[in-house]
Amino acid sequence: MSGRLRSALIIGGQGIRARKLRTFLSMISLFLGVLGVVAAQAGQVIAQRALVSEMEMTQGKDGTQQVYLPSHESASQIAMDTVKGRADVVALMGTNAIIGEPNLRPLNEGGMPIDSGGGGGMSGAYVTCDAYGNCTDQNPNADMPTGQAIELRVVALTGDVRQFRSLRPQSGQWLDFDSAPQLAPRLVLNKEAAKAFGRYQVPAEMRFAGATAHSTPRFVGVIDDGIGAPQAYVRSDELLNWMPADALSDPRFSQIEVLAAPTATDFVDILRKKFAAIGGDQRLEDQLYVNVINAAEQIPEQIALMRWVFLGVSILVLLIGAAGILNVGLATVGERIEEFALRRAVGTPRLLLAGIVLAETLLTGLLTAGAAIGAGIVGLAAASRLFGDQQPMLKGVAFPWEAGVAGVAAGLIAGVLGGLVPAARAARIPIATVMRA
Amino acid sequence: MTQPLIRITGLTKTLKGQGEPRAILEGVDLTLHSGESIAVLGRSGSGKSTLLSLLGLFDRADGGQYLLGEQDITRVPERKAAALRSAQFGFVFQRFFLLKHLTAAQNVAMALVNGQGWLPRRKRKARAMAALDQMGIAHLAKHKPPRLSGGEQQRVAIARALVREPRILLADEPTGALDTDTGNIVVEALRSATDRGCGLILVTHDHDHAAKMQRVLHLDHGVLGPAGVHQ
Repeated sequence: MSGRLRSALIIGGQGIRARKLRTFLSMISLFLGVLGVVAAQAGQVIAQRALVSEMEMTQGKDGTQQVYLPSHESASQIAMDTVKGRADVVALMGTNAIIGEPNLRPLNEGGMPIDSGGGGGMSGAYVTCDAYGNCTDQNPNADMPTGQAIELRVVALTGDVRQFRSLRPQSGQWLDFDSAPQLAPRLVLNKEAAKAFGRYQVPAEMRFAGATAHSTPRFVGVIDDGIGAPQAYVRSDELLNWMPADALSDPRFSQIEVLAAPTATDFVDILRKKFAAIGGDQRLEDQLYVNVINAAEQIPEQIALMRWVFLGVSILVLLIGAAGILNVGLATVGERIEEFALRRAVGTPRLLLAGIVLAETLLTGLLTAGAAIGAGIVGLAAASRLFGDQQPMLKGVAFPWEAGVAGVAAGLIAGVLGGLVPAARAARIPIATVMRA
Repeated sequence: MTQPLIRITGLTKTLKGQGEPRAILEGVDLTLHSGESIAVLGRSGSGKSTLLSLLGLFDRADGGQYLLGEQDITRVPERKAAALRSAQFGFVFQRFFLLKHLTAAQNVAMALVNGQGWLPRRKRKARAMAALDQMGIAHLAKHKPPRLSGGEQQRVAIARALVREPRILLADEPTGALDTDTGNIVVEALRSATDRGCGLILVTHDHDHAAKMQRVLHLDHGVLGPAGVHQ
């Protein structure tokens, strides 16, 4: 550090210590301004993180390639063959299942959320209509009486999907893909399915359309996947003990999705070629839908708008804070005319005098920023503790470093804005003031 | 006689205010040698303080020449003037201009924290204590100005002026706010600086104090003239 900078900091520090009350008063309005900037930045970062986190849970992590396969009886087999032995690609083959007492129509027909009613009548999931609007119910359970059975979506996984989707464990454990497959399929339920089975503790027989036999599932854990309907995850090899692979390709119930790492560049071509080989005139390869998850593109405009509104208000309050520093700074320079003239008399250059005043306002700005950041950290921790249960966005949230940086920058900017004019005045004080005093 | 510290010739200064320009100094000549003490007497408004402002590089003359040693500093730029004030000059004023929030030692040390070179804190403190000791008030080092008498405050101010070991000491009515006895102590403290080779110019109204200097000059209507030589 140069001698001049050290001198400015030492004298600036002495000035602040000598005028503690005045410094404190000038800090108050600035504190509110910096706190506004910190809160706006923290709110924006937290909201964005929550949104990205939600997206990573329901769709996939940023950059993940999401491929939906066309409906075809061979689709599940193609998917499994293509991803076999690869750690960077996972196939998700979803189909509907009913778990409950045998020969009963489920309480939530079609796999609807458990509290949304349903049961009886024509269920939307199984209704098909022709071009004339004539609809028929193809529900396989249509003739059965409604009873204690839950219909849910079962997603068969060829590998650990958590590398692509941030599923949040709630209780129990996740599927173990390293051990040998077991005969009784192990299921991890999502929260809605867990709620359903918590409410209706039905005897567990699991039946699928097209299955060769009914199996007895074992629930090993619960996760939050952000989906509002009952859903369960199972190892595909454990499920296929009980049903042929093409049952997972039933166009009425099934949907096959493949998630791949950004580095897996070849597999889409492989899939296309395989579908082209079986598709013939249908041109199945053209029905492959590929989507690359891009978090930045999907952040709603409202968040960006909210950010600008908050930032605008914060800048206004910050300017008021800077005006407070300016006001106090000008008054202080007026009071210290003799001191500054004396300092010039003992050889202090004009530039250093300006530096002393700027050092004082910058130190004040930094102190204020520190206080505002501290208040932000404490406030966020308190909000997380008090409202974390009602607002998942606040649960266990950490103070974002971006907000700290914004706070320090705001404090420094206000310090410079508020200190420039007093600094210029201090530098212009004539030394002869001390002679005429 | 030794090499002159200061030699000014034909120095003029005119105040240009709202009314007619008023000549304050009209062709002042002055030479100050190392270890020499000069008293400048004159009525109020005669231009004594203006002369000191020009000598201390607080202001610029309108005409004439100012030599510091062999260096012509008549038109010296402000940045260079600040460096010269720091290295060559010490100033004592009628009002002491001590900073109330600093102790006596810190007030003395403030002249060492002026951006002209850097001294570590320990060295600054040692030099401030030595200067206070020279003034016989080292025991007051931790006292703040409001707890010091006028004479003590002025001696702190003199210590501040001497802490950088200047070659020239300029004092503007340093006893104006003091009683006679305390004034004598202060003048003696200033005069003692000349024993170490420092040149002293004392502006005063007090003829007794002036009589203690080696030379006494009179400033009258902007013209500086000799008033006698004190042996």
